[in-house]
Amino acid sequence: MVVPPVVLMASENTEREGDVLGLGPKERVRWAKGLDLPRGPVNGTIFYAGEVYPIMGYAEGAFRMMSRLKLDLNSMAKVAPLFKKLGIYRVVARASWSSLNSRYEKALKDAVYVLKKLDVKFGYLYEDEPPSGIALHTYGLLEDFKRYASEVAAKFRELGVSKIITLDPIAATAFKHYYPVFTEFNVKVEHFVQVVARRMAETGAKASLRRKVRVTYHDPCYLARVMGVVDEVRYVLSRLDGVELIEPERHGVNTGCSGDGGLELTQPELARKVSYERVKELAETGASLTLTSCPACIMMLRVGFDDLSIKMDVLDLASLVAEAFRNRLEFEGPQEVSFKEYKVLPDTLRWDLSNLGERLREYTDLCKKCGFCNAVCPTAQALDRLESRSARGRMTLINALVRGEPLSSEKVLDRLYSCVLCGSCSQTCPVGLHVQEIIVYGRAYAIMTGRV
Amino acid sequence: MDVIKELKGELGEKVLTEPEDIYAYVTDASNVLRQVPLAVVRAYSTEDVSKVLRIANETSTPVVVRGGGTSLTGASVPVKGGILLDVTPMDGIEVNVDDGWVMAEAGATVAKVDQECRKYGYFFPPDPASSRYATIGAALAENAGGLRGAKYGVMKNWVLSLEVVIPGGEVLRIGKPLYKWRWGPDLISLFIGSEGTLGVITKAWLRIYPLPEKVVRILGLFNSLEDAGRAIFEIRRSGILPTMLELLDDESVNIVREQSGLDIPETEAMIIVDVDGPKEAVWRLANQVTEIIGRNGGKAEASDDPEEMKRLYAVRQGIYAAVTRTYKGVLIEDVVFPVSKLVEALREIKKIKEKYGLPMPTFGHAGDGNLHPNICYDPDDPEQVKKAEEMFREVALLAIRMGGSLSGEHGIGLTKKELLVEELKSVNSLGYLKLVKEIKRVLDPKGIMNPGKLYP
Ligand SMILES: Cc1cc2nc3c(=O)[nH]c(=O)nc-3n(C[C@H](O)[C@H](O)[C@H](O)COP(=O)(O)OP(=O)(O)OC[C@H]3O[C@@H](n4cnc5c(N)ncnc54)[C@H](O)[C@@H]3O)c2cc1C
Ligand code: SF4
Ligand code: SF4
Repeated sequence: MVVPPVVLMASENTEREGDVLGLGPKERVRWAKGLDLPRGPVNGTIFYAGEVYPIMGYAEGAFRMMSRLKLDLNSMAKVAPLFKKLGIYRVVARASWSSLNSRYEKALKDAVYVLKKLDVKFGYLYEDEPPSGIALHTYGLLEDFKRYASEVAAKFRELGVSKIITLDPIAATAFKHYYPVFTEFNVKVEHFVQVVARRMAETGAKASLRRKVRVTYHDPCYLARVMGVVDEVRYVLSRLDGVELIEPERHGVNTGCSGDGGLELTQPELARKVSYERVKELAETGASLTLTSCPACIMMLRVGFDDLSIKMDVLDLASLVAEAFRNRLEFEGPQEVSFKEYKVLPDTLRWDLSNLGERLREYTDLCKKCGFCNAVCPTAQALDRLESRSARGRMTLINALVRGEPLSSEKVLDRLYSCVLCGSCSQTCPVGLHVQEIIVYGRAYAIMTGRV
Repeated sequence: MDVIKELKGELGEKVLTEPEDIYAYVTDASNVLRQVPLAVVRAYSTEDVSKVLRIANETSTPVVVRGGGTSLTGASVPVKGGILLDVTPMDGIEVNVDDGWVMAEAGATVAKVDQECRKYGYFFPPDPASSRYATIGAALAENAGGLRGAKYGVMKNWVLSLEVVIPGGEVLRIGKPLYKWRWGPDLISLFIGSEGTLGVITKAWLRIYPLPEKVVRILGLFNSLEDAGRAIFEIRRSGILPTMLELLDDESVNIVREQSGLDIPETEAMIIVDVDGPKEAVWRLANQVTEIIGRNGGKAEASDDPEEMKRLYAVRQGIYAAVTRTYKGVLIEDVVFPVSKLVEALREIKKIKEKYGLPMPTFGHAGDGNLHPNICYDPDDPEQVKKAEEMFREVALLAIRMGGSLSGEHGIGLTKKELLVEELKSVNSLGYLKLVKEIKRVLDPKGIMNPGKLYP
């Protein structure tokens, strides 16, 4: 097997328990305790918590502990098959669990609170909620993802779900962009902020904080670049008195990566380095609070700020909105606003897994080696423009692998796993190549044809 | 002596030998030839570079310096294997506004240097279209130019002083960061355009320029290429000295229209002109340009509003993307003509296109006579490949015949070595080549620097 032990573990956990840490459904529904959410869809609609928010506190705890103890997950997993069997992450995660999880659980609770205040109707699936399995896609285990996705799609059909509202932009992307490629899927998906912005505009909702705060907003790649959701965030913030938004240099569809995208698990040291560029930029705004809308971004930004000893609080957008709503909320009547759905990426690639080699060859042959993608590639920047871990370099390596050059699939995969899937490359490529997705398919190819 | 062992002994982890790392460096933006180097060394300092050139010289190992790898001529492909010296980690920049210069290490990108200067109300004028990834060292080694060349010239016009490392590892300073200094013959120029064949530029002190107060952009549309050519000539003759003067033929405009879906009017030729200067004067110059365009049968539109300016530039901005999206294979020509002969040149280029029947959208920095006919072909069709190569040669020979040159900015590299001889012959100067080779022998007696490039 050419995949590294952590990825193996993450995928096994995902398949067995539904999340990369293997914490399981019981743990994942804990956040909803006491909220009395109706079980099952309401008018076909559910609030979808997904498999990332509910476990993020554990993940952050584990991430911090592993690096404090200078433990390397891969080698631990290698020498301790027993640990692996138990789900090493689970052990470490539990041991290191602190109050960290409350932040992420609270974001979910706050989101539900805000939606209710805006009179949005939805139910919750509790233990029946099928995880999106996005990790399988991220790590290029596309055959598994395909099977998994069709099971999930069937489950939604069985439960009568026709619309998903989620706080998790990673799950939203999975359902919106990847599920339809791999399976029959016609559930409508909206991110929390899309629903909130629309409802706020319809009702003229206006709220105010008790405090005055200068905030900056970190656009998550999945939300801004992939889903094209940018204006909604600005509108919502503009309707909160007491909030002053200061945009960082890279924002909106041109946002910069905070170092997650799966890298935090496979190559945590590089993930950290990527986060540094971003947290410095956020700190330069002079804001005292960073808002964002992605659990993995929250974790990496928190780690980055701590590592660089920058005093900055990081909060989910939902939590600040809830804070304001709780303080004072009025409705001024319908407002005239429109939100653009930005499209800055090429169309999602719909490739058949049976002839990946040909497709990859064809597309990577089109790369002109112009380097435009490298100029925006966060891992290239974090590694002083090391070619083999840059966007263009990955294209070259995939091309070499499918051409049958004498390279080890395992080691090429390691270079491909160093990518955070931010999509900046795809946005920039003059040829219009969807580099980010080509890298995911490249991972799949390396795994499927694995030469060690 | 084992080169890799020596290198690792001196440079440790900066030496990459895993195939999965070094394979990433097999080619540059010419994207034709592929060759895997023996090892890649990532230089973080002048000292690192010096060590590499000492070891390489002792072991007679070829060294190819590489910056952003955006060369369009194969100049940074390690055709003879050997050491690929990656200088991108050396990217320090220091702006000295008081003395009017910026110091950049070899690997700093041209765009970053410009950006740093802008923080102080200055800018760095040369702006190759690749500036976001192309490096200062290489831009000097290629004598790169850009859009602003019409007024501000090319890299060589901006150098005050260099630090270079020559084979054997000796570090030399050439000149000082002063606007004037005299040390006898100017050896800075020796390294300009040397394409990594003489030594490694490690640091450069470059002149900076105050940001213009105002820029006005004018778009001109013409019913014939000839009219556009005449307008360009007249603008140049009027003494206006535009910052930018770009020309696009109908094929270029059509390709962008098709690819981008933008609303672009039908036209035989488009020019885009920027004039800059003090607030009070710049519109007067812009109006003069507008008049010239009108006099030559063109329609003009001018603006100083940033958003409008972006719109007027959209076609030029989108041309590389449009061409590369439409055609799989593209050979980007880089010929120069005397500005007075542009009209004739454009006519002749059209004839070549008709003769071979391959698409060849032509655009370029017409303000300084530098055109980029883009020869488009299908790389999987041997006949088209052959045709494309012949066209490439014929366009270059046309330039030479008309008193122009085979390359304005992209350089010689691998792809234009033989053509260089033709150009030298045309001015009876094969002796130039002999002299350059002798100079190379003095600096690089073992011929380790970028072998196989530049010199036929
Ligand atoms: C899309 C595109 C647009 C372009 N537009 C322009 C343009 O408008 N104008 C223009 O002039 N060029 C243009 N180019 C060509 C190219 O970008 C330039 O030649 C650029 O200067 C190369 O920079 P680089 O760092 O990528 O060089 P590389 O490709 O890494 O190297 C180029 C050459 O310089 C040598 N070299 C590199 N570093 C050093 C050093 N420190 N010391 C000595 N020798 C060194 C190398 O050995 C090689 O021979 C374009 C290229 C592309 C792909
Ligand atoms: S290769 Fe593309 S998706 Fe991956 S990190 Fe670089 S820019 Fe982001
Ligand atoms: S931007 Fe596109 S064409 Fe250019 S090097 Fe990157 S992938 Fe290749």
